[in-house]
Amino acid sequence: MIELKNVTKRYDSLTAVDDVSFSVKSGEYFALLGPNGAGKTTIVKMLLDFTRPTSGSLSLSGIPSTLAECRQSIGYLAENHHIPPSLSGWQYLLRCAELLDIGRPEATDQCRHIVELIGMQGREDAKAGTYSKGMIQRLGIGAALMGAPKLLILDEPTSGLDPIGIREIRQLLESLKGHGMTIFLNSHLLSEVEKICDTAAIINRGKLLVKDAISAIVKDGETLEDMFVRLVKG
Amino acid sequence: MKTSKALSPIARITKYTLIDEVRQRSFVIMFVICALCIFLIRGCYQGNYMVNGHSLDAGTVVRTVSKVTFHIIGAGVMVITALLSMRIFRRDRNEGMQSCILSKPIARWQYVMGKTIGLWVLSVLFMFILHSIVFLITSIDLKIFMPEYLVASLLCSINLLFVIIAMLLLSLLMPDIVAFMCVLGVGVVGFVADGIAAASQSQIAQAIVQQSGGHPQSDLAWWKIVYFLWPKLLGVQQVASSLIESESSHGFGPAYPLVNVLLYCLILGVLLFKRFRNEDIV
Repeated sequence: MIELKNVTKRYDSLTAVDDVSFSVKSGEYFALLGPNGAGKTTIVKMLLDFTRPTSGSLSLSGIPSTLAECRQSIGYLAENHHIPPSLSGWQYLLRCAELLDIGRPEATDQCRHIVELIGMQGREDAKAGTYSKGMIQRLGIGAALMGAPKLLILDEPTSGLDPIGIREIRQLLESLKGHGMTIFLNSHLLSEVEKICDTAAIINRGKLLVKDAISAIVKDGETLEDMFVRLVKG
Repeated sequence: MKTSKALSPIARITKYTLIDEVRQRSFVIMFVICALCIFLIRGCYQGNYMVNGHSLDAGTVVRTVSKVTFHIIGAGVMVITALLSMRIFRRDRNEGMQSCILSKPIARWQYVMGKTIGLWVLSVLFMFILHSIVFLITSIDLKIFMPEYLVASLLCSINLLFVIIAMLLLSLLMPDIVAFMCVLGVGVVGFVADGIAAASQSQIAQAIVQQSGGHPQSDLAWWKIVYFLWPKLLGVQQVASSLIESESSHGFGPAYPLVNVLLYCLILGVLLFKRFRNEDIV
């Protein structure tokens, strides 16, 4: 589903991602872990062609990430997700559907289903400017789910949320399991990742330290957090 | 089939650009103020104008006032268009729409094309409505029909395309306000240079040069080349306004300013697409 081959990204003298290679299989719940500034968001941006690698290649479903077609069945939630304050939640979802070339009747049906799924019934017609951070985040996940994507890329989906909001997002992601969707989760909330994901990769200072099933990475008696600290601190 | 698939996202982005701009309160206020100002010029048509002791007939007054208004609207809408274009990418970025759109199967050139066309349609409509108000005033109040006034308005839309493309490109390279000042500077320098060139070709100016013992320079100077290559925004307006009253445009042939500005649109457009292709999306 996702393949990175010897990907390097440099910003002048800073190497944000250093010769990283890994792949994510279809249907996997995958977490990319690392401390702040490790290069996680840069990898996500390269997957979406928001920035180009200095060297190496990335592909989604076998299509190079530089081609717009590869984003046909991708849902994406950005870190610090924003919605134009002048739009209502409903209008925003409808726009996302239209941008995917979904016809109006089907788009309306999908929007209604998503509003229900993210628990925004009764608030969907309010302007986004009146929404809380948690609601905007839920709406962002809803927009990412539009068009039933095969791959969901979530960049820090619980960033800035309170414990209740974090729990709601986790429950939402857990409810998507079994739909055959691949999830690429970029997070540093290890307890959440441990509950949701099957496989994980850890990067630090742009270098890939490990990529395996979480059950294989975590040793007996250890938590994901213990293992993460051990690997990152070297 | 393939073409319609490529055009569909452009049409959608164009539609969203139009809707988002019209929803802005500042846009509505600007439009209402401009429309009111145009209504105020009605008084100019009713005055008595004397030239060399002779009173001008109503037809001449109407055409002259209409032409002056035509140029003022043309120049004013160019400034407004620059203001509308200067924050378009930044706003999309800050409100999350840029990453939302480009995470869909939409190519960057389609996004830029949609934004450009949306702004162009909006500014052309803005100018056309203002010119239509003048057309309606002369048609209804003064019973003088000038359908060529509306054709001239559409011809001026080339200038608006230039302003939009230049603003979008420069706003990727420098702070918005600096980009705005640069585009404004290109327009002002062009208008002043064209004004000086037009004045220097008048009989009075020629006589002054001859009296002072000088002779008009005929050799090719660097400033002549710069003047020749400078964006001919006023030239386009003069070509357009020459449609209102059958007269020749100053300086160059009627086609040159149009070709000049269209070539600039093409070159800047290519640079805009190339620059945006390498832009990091936040």
